Amino acid sequence: MSKIHVSTTVNGDATEYLCEPTSSLLDVLRDTMGLTGSKEGCGSGDCGACTVVLDGEMVCSCLVLAAEAEGRTVATIEGVAEGSVLHPVQQKFLEHAALQCGFCTPGFIVAAKALLDRNPNPTETEVRYWLAGNLCRCTGYDKIVRAVLDAAAELRQERTPA
Amino acid sequence: MVRIVVMPPFDKEFFGEFINDGRLDLAPHNLFDLVEKLEALAPGFAAIAPARVHFAVDGVLETDWTRELAQAQEVIVLPRVGGG
Amino acid sequence: MNAPETMKQFRPKGFRHVGTRPVRPDGVDKVTGKALYSPDFKAPGMLWGAILRSPHPHARIISIDTKKAEALVGVKAVATGRDLPTLESLVMHVGEGASDIVDVSHNCLALDKVLYEGHAVVAVAATSPEIAREALGLITVEYEELPFVLGVEEALAEGAPVLHDNVFTKGVEPKPEKPSNAAMRVEMGGGDVEGALASAAATVTERYTLEPVHQGYIEPHACVASWNGDGQAQIWTSSQGHFAVRSLTASVLAMPQSDIRVTPLEIGGGFGGKTTIYLEPVAMVLSRKSGRPVRLAMTREEVFRATGPAPGAVIDVRIGADAEGTLVAAEVEFLYHSGAYTANDAGAGVSSAIGHYRIANTRVVGTEVLCNRPAAKAYRAPGAPQVNFAVESAIDELAGKLGIDPLELRLKNAAAEGDPQTSGLPWGRIGWVECLEAARAHPHWSAPLGPNQGRGIAGGYWGNYGGPSTVNVSVAEDGTITVATGSPDIGGSRASMAIMAAEVLDVPYEQVRSVVADTASIGVSMVTGGSRTTFATGMATVQAAEDVKSILCQRAARMWGVSDDQVEWRSGAVVCLEGEKQGQSMTAAAIAGRSFHSGGPIAAVAALSAKGWLPGFGVHICDTEVDPETGHVKIVRYTAIQDVGTAIHPDYVEGQMQGGAAQGIGWALNEAYIYGKNGKLDNAGFLDYRMPVASDLPMIDTVMVEVPNPAHPYGVKGVGEVPIVPPLAAVANAIHGAIGQRLRDLPMVPDRVYAALHPEG
Repeated sequence: MSKIHVSTTVNGDATEYLCEPTSSLLDVLRDTMGLTGSKEGCGSGDCGACTVVLDGEMVCSCLVLAAEAEGRTVATIEGVAEGSVLHPVQQKFLEHAALQCGFCTPGFIVAAKALLDRNPNPTETEVRYWLAGNLCRCTGYDKIVRAVLDAAAELRQERTPA
Repeated sequence: MVRIVVMPPFDKEFFGEFINDGRLDLAPHNLFDLVEKLEALAPGFAAIAPARVHFAVDGVLETDWTRELAQAQEVIVLPRVGGG
Repeated sequence: MNAPETMKQFRPKGFRHVGTRPVRPDGVDKVTGKALYSPDFKAPGMLWGAILRSPHPHARIISIDTKKAEALVGVKAVATGRDLPTLESLVMHVGEGASDIVDVSHNCLALDKVLYEGHAVVAVAATSPEIAREALGLITVEYEELPFVLGVEEALAEGAPVLHDNVFTKGVEPKPEKPSNAAMRVEMGGGDVEGALASAAATVTERYTLEPVHQGYIEPHACVASWNGDGQAQIWTSSQGHFAVRSLTASVLAMPQSDIRVTPLEIGGGFGGKTTIYLEPVAMVLSRKSGRPVRLAMTREEVFRATGPAPGAVIDVRIGADAEGTLVAAEVEFLYHSGAYTANDAGAGVSSAIGHYRIANTRVVGTEVLCNRPAAKAYRAPGAPQVNFAVESAIDELAGKLGIDPLELRLKNAAAEGDPQTSGLPWGRIGWVECLEAARAHPHWSAPLGPNQGRGIAGGYWGNYGGPSTVNVSVAEDGTITVATGSPDIGGSRASMAIMAAEVLDVPYEQVRSVVADTASIGVSMVTGGSRTTFATGMATVQAAEDVKSILCQRAARMWGVSDDQVEWRSGAVVCLEGEKQGQSMTAAAIAGRSFHSGGPIAAVAALSAKGWLPGFGVHICDTEVDPETGHVKIVRYTAIQDVGTAIHPDYVEGQMQGGAAQGIGWALNEAYIYGKNGKLDNAGFLDYRMPVASDLPMIDTVMVEVPNPAHPYGVKGVGEVPIVPPLAAVANAIHGAIGQRLRDLPMVPDRVYAALHPEG
């Protein structure tokens, strides 16, 4: 079977790749492009470790075919920080020790940023339900939820006109 | 003499015929020597001891088998418990 | 070398760094996606492996035909169990718990027989993952199916299929004449249980059951191996102990350990399940055959089907007390699923069952039972949560019969320093009573409950460990410090090591960087498991940092031309106390900058086998709300209280307590291996094996009780495993509080809770 040519935008950069018709977006991000920040914990959309944002929508990249990215924009964990400046969600994850092994962390950060991009003032319950598609086995979620709420507060402060 | 108390499963697994009520009296100079003496009674014990056995000298677990036993009253041979 | 006597005393409070909460040194890499985990690593020219697994729970392998697979374009190597060397039985204790190396080998690739659905049979390496998977479909394995057995009681029944014809129950006398599935029996206790129970004012006699559950780390197992023709090899993998990977792989392949260099990649969770090997010898053989590096990586389904769950159990408890609530006797008999090979949980189960209470008459008997399931492996306090669920449920039932508050019943009977454990050894400086008192004083314990809500409490413990660790503390030319350990960082240990070294040297935390070194770059260290790393590797870090401090002092003294006792280390610098230079000081930077001309680079290695570890105790309080319409249980409030010795980095101590509680809640409410009648696992995925998600849980309040360990320079006790012990019974007791019915079988899924609410059916 011949490979498919795809032109897409990843973290703001125009990108082209060849992929198998059966390859997932996650496979291409990790194996073809070397963007291994998105993790494969299950390959079935149950753990959220591969979460990316596709045209503004949060998706499990293991459930998206690589060919579907044609003409669209993909945002991964590697694009969350601006250069060396961490996004407030990343900074708060560090300050709150919201990671232990860190394997699920990229997925949580991409998901949490997607939440705060659309809802700058979520309740604890909203954070918990938004992140219910991301599995963490280390933390019991407590410090993750606190980090997201704290990041939201900081972002709101930044948005408040002086 | 040091009182050697062999706990399950090692009492029955290795020393059934040699001990009464799980107890032996031996005069080992250290724990390596004790393993040798126990091996002489029950061949095969020395091979599994590093992996499966903990020794407690007078009530305290001792992982240094060079520990002198001249002053010891009692050594307990008990199963090593692993963690995760 | 062991720690010198001067280090063995706990230093009282007044720390500069210990107890602070700095950002972990590996943090930025982990929040930006830069950190390399096992499945992220690639070697140049790497091949992709795949493994064909048994579709049968128990079968004899008649023949394996790999010719078509080998002929497929892109396939570079094929391996079966015949490609692994034949080994003599040897029991090793490299990770956590003893394993026979023959079993480890046969579990990596089956020889002659498959013992569970998912058992590895054939491996291939090819130029792409697609070709490797296609090749598996071209392999023909002829099996003779054998009767199988999944349950522990069924496996012990007369006529049950016997998994191994060379397993004779260990720990019974006389040695059995026939092989059986009872791999090992451990019994402890003493006194007159029957007599004491006969005279007790109240007794509870009940059976409790649990299903096997998986550790559930989010990172599947993966490795890359490269084995050259000259015999030297490299392995890149994540694990809880790369030295364990090295020694187990070398033993399975009958090769020298120094010919294998294992580079630890970041580990995406382990919880005990990554203290062993599954893939490494197979990847090695494929690499040797193909002459290229080979990656093997499991899918989530393979992780569920082929890696170690914690044992399920059938547990019978008899416990009795006098009218005042003094426990007079307890008997616990349990059967643990060992799975395909002899596991290690029974001994720990016996010593973790009832040792937290003063009971004059006890009998605890545990049996490891072989059955056609994946080989049980360590899972956080391995062997303890199961018996604790039974005993702490029974204690609650007994409190109900006696009309005594369940916390007060526990406190009245709680063991303290000097009281005997089940083994007869006296407890050291434990903090169990302190935890119970903290629970009683906590506002959660007396808070009002809403409708359909109930509150439960449970306490538990874990023995923890010390053991071998090597640490190298070195000073760079600019005076900054590097701490290299052999202990994988599974939850913040780099930060803890940097804190302890900074404490010794009294320098800023950021001046100390901590790394995990590969097997060729640091001395042997035992696995990150047994809650040993902060204790044992921390002790080695403190010792090496102390040695570095001494060297810095000696160098300064020599440069000033004074004797060693005329200088002193103060606030991160050497101060001259006497002579012309009195009052002058020299920083680490100043000394290190001149180190090449004053005796050479400054570094110290501590290689020790840490002694004096102490067990940890925890008390958990749980509030549940039960939906009477559906039987769904919601955790509405949760508090975990634990004696942590001294919290080096409190954030990561709290994190351990919260994470352990969440895993225990999952075990209590949802998680279980579900098998079909055909002996195949029905829920080998995260959709059907449902672990707690964020919306299932409330905030988990933590109370760190600090009863310092006198044998550690900073008072450390292991904290990681304890918190999974109490939650199972805490949740069950809370459900009882909510609905007045006792659930004794885990998991307490809605249909079971509903059935308990509606016994009429």
